[in-house]
Amino acid sequence: MARIELVGLEKAWGSVTAVDDVNLAVEDGEFVALLGPSGCGKTTTLFMLAGIYKPTAGRLLFDGHEVNDVEAKDRNIGIVFQSYALYPHMTVRDNIAFPLRFKSTSQAERQRRVEEAAALVRVQELLDRRPSQLSGGQQQRVALARALVKQPQLLLLDEPLSNLDATLRLTMRSEIKQLQAKLGLTTILVTHDQLEATTMADRIVCMNKGRIEQVDGPDDLYARPNSLFVAGFIGAPPINLLPGVAGPAGVSVGEASLALSGKAAGAVTLGIRPENITVGGPLPAEVVQIEPMGREVLYLLRTTMGEIKALEAGTVARWHIGERPGITFQPDATLLFDEAGRRVAGANVAIRNQ
Amino acid sequence: MSATTAISGTASPPVAAGTDWAGLARRSKAAQRRRSFLLHASLFVCSLPVIVPYVWLLTLAFSPRGAPVGTTILWRALVVILPAIVVWLVMAASPRGNTRALGGLVVVVALALLAVLVGPLISLENWQFLFNPDVVAEIKRGVGDNDYPSIWLAAGNSLLLAGGEMVVVCTVATLAAYYLSRFEFYGRGTFLKGLMVLHAFPVYTLVIPIFLLMYWVGMLDTIVGVVLVIATLELPFAIYIMKGFFDAVPWEIEMSAMADGASRRQAFWLVVLPQVKVGIAAIAIFAFLRGWEEYVFVATLLLSKTNWVMSLFLFFFAQDTMGLDHGLVSAIAVFYLLPSLILYAFTQRYLTQVSFSGIKG
Repeated sequence: MARIELVGLEKAWGSVTAVDDVNLAVEDGEFVALLGPSGCGKTTTLFMLAGIYKPTAGRLLFDGHEVNDVEAKDRNIGIVFQSYALYPHMTVRDNIAFPLRFKSTSQAERQRRVEEAAALVRVQELLDRRPSQLSGGQQQRVALARALVKQPQLLLLDEPLSNLDATLRLTMRSEIKQLQAKLGLTTILVTHDQLEATTMADRIVCMNKGRIEQVDGPDDLYARPNSLFVAGFIGAPPINLLPGVAGPAGVSVGEASLALSGKAAGAVTLGIRPENITVGGPLPAEVVQIEPMGREVLYLLRTTMGEIKALEAGTVARWHIGERPGITFQPDATLLFDEAGRRVAGANVAIRNQ
Repeated sequence: MSATTAISGTASPPVAAGTDWAGLARRSKAAQRRRSFLLHASLFVCSLPVIVPYVWLLTLAFSPRGAPVGTTILWRALVVILPAIVVWLVMAASPRGNTRALGGLVVVVALALLAVLVGPLISLENWQFLFNPDVVAEIKRGVGDNDYPSIWLAAGNSLLLAGGEMVVVCTVATLAAYYLSRFEFYGRGTFLKGLMVLHAFPVYTLVIPIFLLMYWVGMLDTIVGVVLVIATLELPFAIYIMKGFFDAVPWEIEMSAMADGASRRQAFWLVVLPQVKVGIAAIAIFAFLRGWEEYVFVATLLLSKTNWVMSLFLFFFAQDTMGLDHGLVSAIAVFYLLPSLILYAFTQRYLTQVSFSGIKG
């Protein structure tokens, strides 16, 4: 177990910079998720941590010691790949025992630790099978056992759940989380799935184009995104983003004129999450489309501000297509972003009383 | 409700009442049998011109010593074998389910007929050469020089040549292909294109330069020299095949091995190499057969009789006994052929897995 620090970390391939000036500290025993769209540099960062790629600049510290030039095999890291990367020619037992081959452990000790790791992820019955005879979920567990057997100081998970079906993903999600908490392992998860990140990690690092956009807990990331990118990336169904212009008289969005509290000027973007829109209110709106989602109903509305999605609790739609219920929202649920896409702190908009 | 009725009303095609399902199934089965019979029959006919000469060679090798070139055994054998195959084809296409017992009967009858018709004509006399090197001298009756090497020496040389070439090709091709597959280096693309060009190059245009080269480096008339030459010529093809196999091994398992504590070399040995075993087996077989069958380069580069390989032995023997003993020449040819046949029979499985698919530049 270790405290991991990334200081000004950079990785470039020729003229392409995949990871640019990444600064991050992961505490001992913490579960951190690197979240971002594909190509954002999260896997490159992971591979640098694993020692597979060498950083072009910056420092990588394990417990305060620089490990930039320490080889992968000497870093004592457990890693689970998206494809599981089990060794197809070995039995499950040999797969799990593989990392112990390179340590001076006795035969009996090795045996014991393999059984232990297998029991941890509940694959004891599969020890004599080959990877090709296992289901996706079982392969996933074996890969996890192989990563855990050497008692790593850092566990890296590269999109570990994306090859599983929906039900299994749910199970594995909670299993991995429980296991991490039980073993107190410093863990870094790479994923493009926000749900995976928010459900499993203590802290989420949101990355875009090789840079860190925001590091925060799941709730802060959702409620107080620092940038337009984070606001748009986190949340499903996605946040409503509406272009507008801010002036001394308030904010005009589409044909609507809204009251502004806080300081903002020039071109802005107004963000309101669908669940913060209440259908039925003073702002004129017409129902265009209805999508029942089970627990909630998603409305697509044509308003004077533009097209807006609103989420309402309940299994049955209260409004029909063509009706004009109007909408409303609470000022403190609104987010305002400036021209550069940064959130304007303390700025809210409200519907004017007419 | 209305939606479901609408769907069931339009989706399924109209089926006439009283459709003869059993009849349809029967007709489909019969059509399938007809197709498979035609396919097998046409394949059989096409392969006849290839197979018959080999059968003839075999019958000559087992004909009595000193007999004139004859086709008696061949015709008698074919008279039994061909009808047997036709019967087998018809049986395979007939509707009866279990034809295994009947098939066994056909085989037994055919073997019995062969024993009666061909048995009395067969002789092992031609195979004396295996134990008696003087056979050659006797036949030649003092024509030319008589000091032929033993056929076992030639076979041993052939084995050494083919085996040595196999080892060189497998080692070099595996390492080179791994590097080409995994590492980026200046001139990699050109190198890969070069491999293809080299493979397409007619190698026999190189006979004279290679002869001179071997002479200058003092490797003329040595098995090692020929091994190096043939291995070099075989390498472009082998490297290309192996690169395809390495390309198919996912990066992740190698990375995973290194994260698990293996060095790059250990990862290669313990994790990557076992994934390409089939590829190594395939190029090993190709290399061995190439070495075993080689004629042009051994004829040019090997001069002394003690260095003769099987192909040279067969060639000189056929020349020296021209018109005298076809039976003996055929027997030696069959002896030369056997290792290739056995190797093919046991390794087909590997060879059929070789393909050029998945090869990236």
